[in-house]
Amino acid sequence: MPNPYIPYLTKVKSIVTENKVNDIKTIELEFKKEEDYQKFNYIPGQFAEISLIGKGECPIGIASSPTEEGTIKFTIKKMGTVTSGFHNCEEGDIVGVRGPCGNGWPVEEMKGKNIVVIGGGFAFSTLRSLVIYILDEKNRKDYGDITVIYGNRDPGEVLYQDVLEEWKKRDDIKVVLTIDREAEGWTEEVGFVAPIVKKVAPSSDNAIAVICGPPIMIKTTIAVMEELNWKDEQILNSLEMRMKCGIGKCGRCNIGNKFVCVDGPVFSLAELKKMPNEY
Amino acid sequence: MGIEEDNIEIISSIRENAKKLLSEDQVDLVIGYSEGTVPLSSTPVIIRKAEDVDKLTWNNLCYMNLARYLAPLMPQLCDREGNALRIGIVAKGCVARAINLLAVEKQVDLKKITMIGFNCNGIVNRSKIDLEIGEKEILEVVVSGDDIIVKGRDWEKKFPYDQYINELCKVCKVKTPSTTEENCIGECKELESIHDEFSDIDDFEAKSAEEKWDYIKNILEVCTLCYSCRQACPACYCNLCFVDQNKPIWFGKTTEYRDIFTFHLIRATHLAGRCVACGACASVCPVGIDLNFITRKLEKIVKERFDYTSGLDAETLPPMMDFDMKDAQEFMLEED
Amino acid sequence: MDQKILKKDQIGKLYNEFAGEYDFYAPIKEKGNIVFEKIENPEDIVLDYLNSKVPPKSVLFPQEEVLFEYTLDEKNVEITDRQNLDQKILIFGVRPCDAYSFELMANFFSFHGDWEDEIYLKKKENSTIIGIGCNTPRSTCFCTSVGGNPFKKGDMDIFLTDLGDKYLVEAISDKGKEMVQKLTWLSDASKNDLKKAEELAKKAEELIVTKIDVDTVVKNLETNFEHPVWDEISESCIGCGSCAYLCPTCTCFDVIDETDHYNNRGRRIRIWDTCQSCLYTLETSGHNPRDTKIQRCRNRIMHKFSYYPTNYDLLGCVGCGRCVAVCPANNDLRVILNKIKNIEKKEDEKVVA
Repeated sequence: MPNPYIPYLTKVKSIVTENKVNDIKTIELEFKKEEDYQKFNYIPGQFAEISLIGKGECPIGIASSPTEEGTIKFTIKKMGTVTSGFHNCEEGDIVGVRGPCGNGWPVEEMKGKNIVVIGGGFAFSTLRSLVIYILDEKNRKDYGDITVIYGNRDPGEVLYQDVLEEWKKRDDIKVVLTIDREAEGWTEEVGFVAPIVKKVAPSSDNAIAVICGPPIMIKTTIAVMEELNWKDEQILNSLEMRMKCGIGKCGRCNIGNKFVCVDGPVFSLAELKKMPNEY
Repeated sequence: MGIEEDNIEIISSIRENAKKLLSEDQVDLVIGYSEGTVPLSSTPVIIRKAEDVDKLTWNNLCYMNLARYLAPLMPQLCDREGNALRIGIVAKGCVARAINLLAVEKQVDLKKITMIGFNCNGIVNRSKIDLEIGEKEILEVVVSGDDIIVKGRDWEKKFPYDQYINELCKVCKVKTPSTTEENCIGECKELESIHDEFSDIDDFEAKSAEEKWDYIKNILEVCTLCYSCRQACPACYCNLCFVDQNKPIWFGKTTEYRDIFTFHLIRATHLAGRCVACGACASVCPVGIDLNFITRKLEKIVKERFDYTSGLDAETLPPMMDFDMKDAQEFMLEED
Repeated sequence: MDQKILKKDQIGKLYNEFAGEYDFYAPIKEKGNIVFEKIENPEDIVLDYLNSKVPPKSVLFPQEEVLFEYTLDEKNVEITDRQNLDQKILIFGVRPCDAYSFELMANFFSFHGDWEDEIYLKKKENSTIIGIGCNTPRSTCFCTSVGGNPFKKGDMDIFLTDLGDKYLVEAISDKGKEMVQKLTWLSDASKNDLKKAEELAKKAEELIVTKIDVDTVVKNLETNFEHPVWDEISESCIGCGSCAYLCPTCTCFDVIDETDHYNNRGRRIRIWDTCQSCLYTLETSGHNPRDTKIQRCRNRIMHKFSYYPTNYDLLGCVGCGRCVAVCPANNDLRVILNKIKNIEKKEDEKVVA
């Protein structure tokens, strides 16, 4: 048994700024040892504990899809000391990675179903991983229709614009982008995510919805989904909690008897309703 | 005679006053002390009905400073919207001092608080008794006459009361709440200042710097950094304590001596001019550390330089939060 | 014969026999408190004690522990793993409740199989536990209510019974049997010795006066998460964490990097933490899922008596009573459990103390 607290060492390959106010960056990491990369088998929806050795560690969802080979990507918002440290990284800096942690999106159970992906703001990173995974030519035929509804405060906050453009060009995925209020030059939908979901009205027939975003967005969107006859087992959420070890040992991230870092972060709405409201 | 009789009177007065406040709807609840379930302890309790006043007691083991529950105001003392209820609080002298301090620092609204005052006759020194009894289980502690009687399964030991109370209680000058009758039912006595020789720390002061260092290290080494002292202290109410800050990280969190020492040093400095000498920190420490000689030393410095004693009224700002042109400044290079 | 006698003046001899090969831990008295420390001088060992202040979990799961060390050199980072997990450890003079706590911790640290805590598990594998029965349990002990017993032998390798002037030595596990065989100088136990030990065991069980209906507590906790009883239960709590630090089964920890910038080196360590701390669940965004004292107090009780049984089919409490003895606000766990037990009933029951 190797010491589970020792991270793989990776090198920063590139850092890309994702939004206009420059507080969200996507960092691309290359494993120093090939064998470590081979051991790091992840599925969309999982996260990793990434660290600046000497500064600290934080749990970040994996933004890249396993189908994007060679490197892994993380989208990080500048909020505290460690995340600010990541923002100041340069190419070639060393970053520790532990993982992959968590249960991830249930990509096997989702096969054969229509997928509705609903994201708000900065929480879109693991949804990017999921959609790219599904759209990959090896996987696309295993899934039904895909609808992506992605809302943001304003056009400057929309992440992964290059990837979104690619998706819009395809005919096997429907992409609906929306922003909170009218803005100059914006030709797509305007409105909060929940009313746009109501407008799009995705069918609950043989479908699974994946919702990620700020708590208020999740709450309002779920209310709309229930109106559209979606059942609790069909709606999946990815939760956030304060974490330290990421592997179910330090006890910090428990909600009731479940640990968000091993039993989650993905929970269905049915499961969430059985858990205490402490998240 | 003596302590035991005093206690009977105190209990009766606390219960009578609490009953009056509750039955006349002058307060929504009363927070006081109840009989502990293990020897050498007492449990803080909230009562909301006049018929429950018999739960309140006083037994020289009521070491918790109840003002600690006022800031941050615990949810049980608030209404549904989070506004403070009208609170009656059983107040020995140091609890009143703490309430005054919190009022000056704008952490409590004195208009919502009614103190139930009495003349405190001291708190038994738990760790001193534990140390003397050693590894025998104490099953009961009673104050009888002027003695503390400690009983085990098949043994009994007597301790003279005035030698086995907390060191701070031995030199206490504010046994009765120092406040106006407006804020208090029962005993109270407004004090403008106190006279204190601080002779209890003469021994400590006489030590050389090296001796002081070793003396403090000897006491502090066993600390487990559980932060009970901080949690029990009414003056430690910061939303983000320096312990938890990470910009910058003030000290490491291990139990290596340098980390332990830094914690206690910084906390003592934050309490200079504010500590109300209740001794709760020493009483709650699970490993029996008593650092009150340091708080006494700080109190002496503050008294000498600023002629100030904390918690005597609800208006005067503590010296670390205020300045006066007459403050001594001999440490400046040039006299004005 | 399997049962041997160790005379009280032979403890030094026992120590000398094993101190070379093992890290020998036993209770000592440090400034009035009984704690488990590594023994340099066998005269320091104290076995005539009620129970230690800090539980022996501090031997295998210390308050601060290095996870790994690192050196930082410009853009280069080197990580060094821990070296000494193969060192044999002997923990001497452990009470049955604490011996059981080692098993509970091993269960917890090996759960979620993908990620086992190798550090604790390896140390546990290399440990030998020599325990001692409790002739006089404290009035705060309630091990019999949670499946324990003052003379429970199963979680130890060797079990000692204090017969007054000597100890009865019983080897329980294979590891224990091997160890006892090495101590060829131990005399055999007589029939009288065995009889006396049995009598002591029976008397000890009778001395445990605190009885708690834990089954009803566990059942009531399944459905009463929002019950107003929690307001009352958390009233006097000051949120210090003494209960968690001194609890043999509390294992929550924090992870921090300590860097010596002048020498470009550092270590990542874990330190004890407690869910009673108000910032325990605070997220960087400012959202705090458990920002009231009521939620935090409730979480600890639920963890021991509801989440543990749900996840592992075991209780998370060994009944040692340390939290009861040490709580600064005298928020007595026995009173709390009784209040929970009585949720469906209306009367007020007093705890038998």
